[in-house]
Amino acid sequence: MLSRVAESIFWMARYMERTNRMLRMLHTKYMSSQDEVVDFNWYSVLQTYSNKSEGEMRQIQNNSFLVLEHLLVDRDNPYSVINNITNARENARSVQDHITKEVWLCLNEFYHLIREEHIRNNIVNGDPVTSLDALIRHGMLYNGTVDITMAREEGFSFLNIGKFLSRAIFTIDLLTIKLKEYNYELTKHAEDPTWRFLLYSLSGYELYLKTNRGNLHSKLVINHVLYNTEFPHSLLYAVERLKRYFERLKTESSSESYQQIEFLIGRCYNNIKYSNVSENSELLKQFLLQTRADLFDTANLFNKYYFGKS
Amino acid sequence: MEDHAILANYTENPEVWDEMFGNGKIREHYENFVSAIENLTPEEITRKDEQAKKLFMSQGVTFTVYNSGEGIEKIFPFDVVPRIIIPSEWNHIANGIKQRLKALNIFLKDIYHQQFILKDGIIPAKLIYSCPNFLREMVNVDVPFDIYTHISGVDLIRDSDGQFYVLEDNLRTPSGVSYMLENRSITYRIFPDLIPKNNVLPVKDYPDHLLKNLMSLSDRQNSNPTIVLLTPGMFNSAYFEHTTLARLMGIELVEGPDLVVENHHVYMKTTKGLEKVDVIYRRVDDDFIDPLVFRPDSMLGVPGLYWAYRKGNVAIVNAMGNGVADDKAVYSYVPDMIRYYLNEEPILKNVPTYQLADPDNRKMVFEKMNKMVIKKTNESGGYGMLIGNAATEKEMETFKKAITEDPRSYIAQPIINLSSSPCYINGELQPRRVDLRPYALYGPEGIEIVPGGLTRVALREGSLVVNSSQGGGSKDTWVLGS
Repeated sequence: MLSRVAESIFWMARYMERTNRMLRMLHTKYMSSQDEVVDFNWYSVLQTYSNKSEGEMRQIQNNSFLVLEHLLVDRDNPYSVINNITNARENARSVQDHITKEVWLCLNEFYHLIREEHIRNNIVNGDPVTSLDALIRHGMLYNGTVDITMAREEGFSFLNIGKFLSRAIFTIDLLTIKLKEYNYELTKHAEDPTWRFLLYSLSGYELYLKTNRGNLHSKLVINHVLYNTEFPHSLLYAVERLKRYFERLKTESSSESYQQIEFLIGRCYNNIKYSNVSENSELLKQFLLQTRADLFDTANLFNKYYFGKS
Repeated sequence: MEDHAILANYTENPEVWDEMFGNGKIREHYENFVSAIENLTPEEITRKDEQAKKLFMSQGVTFTVYNSGEGIEKIFPFDVVPRIIIPSEWNHIANGIKQRLKALNIFLKDIYHQQFILKDGIIPAKLIYSCPNFLREMVNVDVPFDIYTHISGVDLIRDSDGQFYVLEDNLRTPSGVSYMLENRSITYRIFPDLIPKNNVLPVKDYPDHLLKNLMSLSDRQNSNPTIVLLTPGMFNSAYFEHTTLARLMGIELVEGPDLVVENHHVYMKTTKGLEKVDVIYRRVDDDFIDPLVFRPDSMLGVPGLYWAYRKGNVAIVNAMGNGVADDKAVYSYVPDMIRYYLNEEPILKNVPTYQLADPDNRKMVFEKMNKMVIKKTNESGGYGMLIGNAATEKEMETFKKAITEDPRSYIAQPIINLSSSPCYINGELQPRRVDLRPYALYGPEGIEIVPGGLTRVALREGSLVVNSSQGGGSKDTWVLGS
């Protein structure tokens, strides 16, 4: 497969995973902003997903509508959902003969959907949940379309590698945002009810309740988010999938390329699997930073060994 | 005409050859088609017309217009009524094109090697050396099998006398062949059975012929050479055609940055590492093909490609430097080339062409400018053109000024009345002007022309410009078997 084609499919999947995760996260955040008595603050989210200066972020941090507009449909914010979708579509467009027609049409429709006037209107001065629901539903349609139409060949592996890489990074970022909100004081906030918003934004609350019988505690939440392999948004699950889809490339790769990345992914996977960081906030902070760096190194190695960018 | 309701309003223009009507009645080869559609209600034809549009859209037969960085898909207008050509006419056309291409190829080899044609004074040397498309870089370069024009699309028109004339030889990177293929596949869908019943010759072999020719150009002793199609990328308006051809031939579609040159060999970057490339079917213009030799400000091509080509390590299709042979000023010498190289009389006529570098011609053309078409010698796509009977005084003055400043860059031709063909417009058949571009493939085993081609049609009433960039559309082209 041409390097450029593999790279475009990889990035299409990365942008789409970001899109879907961000929509879910913003949905939860917005709901919780309506739920809280105290002043709700978007600052930690903006810090991660906005290109505004600190002063500008402080100006809008208490205005949910402005924040949602900025993170969803602002063309000037490179991390906004609309830009993610546009980038996914542009990547898909250049490899139309390597993805299925259904996937292309689905992405194309997604792009046209988010540009519709009523989506923006609802976000800015209506009910943002209506818009978010419509977009989330289309995101699920995309995932289903990919799953049911794409041939299980090399391109599919690159697609999933991109997807699970982005998912792992996103899970780390959301946990980091949460920890920042608590100022990394785990003991003080051990039983804070707002932990459940983290689980909502990762679509993991129901499974958590079933596993932990209604006991909301930071240690359990962090273990769930990091290590539960039955939970498709946990870090370990995502990296385990990343590893598996990478292994499927073995026959299509030169042995040097394969070994380099296999080593890094394997080490990253084991570092996660055989760690225990849910109670020590300093260790946890280091662990998240290190894992995030490992994942970015992995992406860079793909650039070097598979996408022809030395 | 009154016998057929659908043709009730079809007006014949005595000064224009009509493909369907002659002497007030339907030409024989159109009878089958007309009898097949005359019983359809207007609603049914309109439905077919809409079905065709939907098929084009849903099958992605589109070209992309870029607007503020975002692509918008548009369809190339298609008319459901086919243009029909009888066997004897087709043979005449095919023989004429073969003869022409043979001569043009010898000309290209000659002009980039010994230049006998200049030494014998058949073509003025000044004309060649002043041609911006004469590539000094191609002098003394030997190309595989001495073939330069592997793929060409010769534009033909039919004047009021019923004769075909060559309007242009497109020898660089002619486009539109994917529409020839798609138009046929749409016609199958909207007029079931009509194609076999009329004994229409198939066009579907085009990609196979092309692939066979490309494979035979590989220098390597390898039954499975690597062939790629080099596209400028998805921003190019013909990107759909590039993807279609790559898909139909099963070859890789690459962009400039996908290729690298190492030690004068060309490789493509794959997920497995570098893979050697033997043949490049390029849809990138000469100027952009190698930034080290041609335009340094463009990365559409591949640095070092020219030298890999020159050393014979990679075949490039079409050859570079063909522009000197389809230059609009050199065009007028093609009949002389045929006589000089082949010792034959040209089968297909040229449209009379006046070089404006000649002061007498210039004077004559300026005097009756309203009866002339003025063209820039190195532009295509209907740009840089003035049609005398439709131009304003001001436009004429602008052209006169430009011509006086740079006469070499302009030619003039008398306005030819392109033949008309029925089109389904606003619920009835109306005559519109058409041309014809058959596609010829020149391989080591000779020249093959797929029976058919692209009939382009000027959809605006009275217009003579068929280019898609100027509001043109296309039709399926039927060549009947004998």
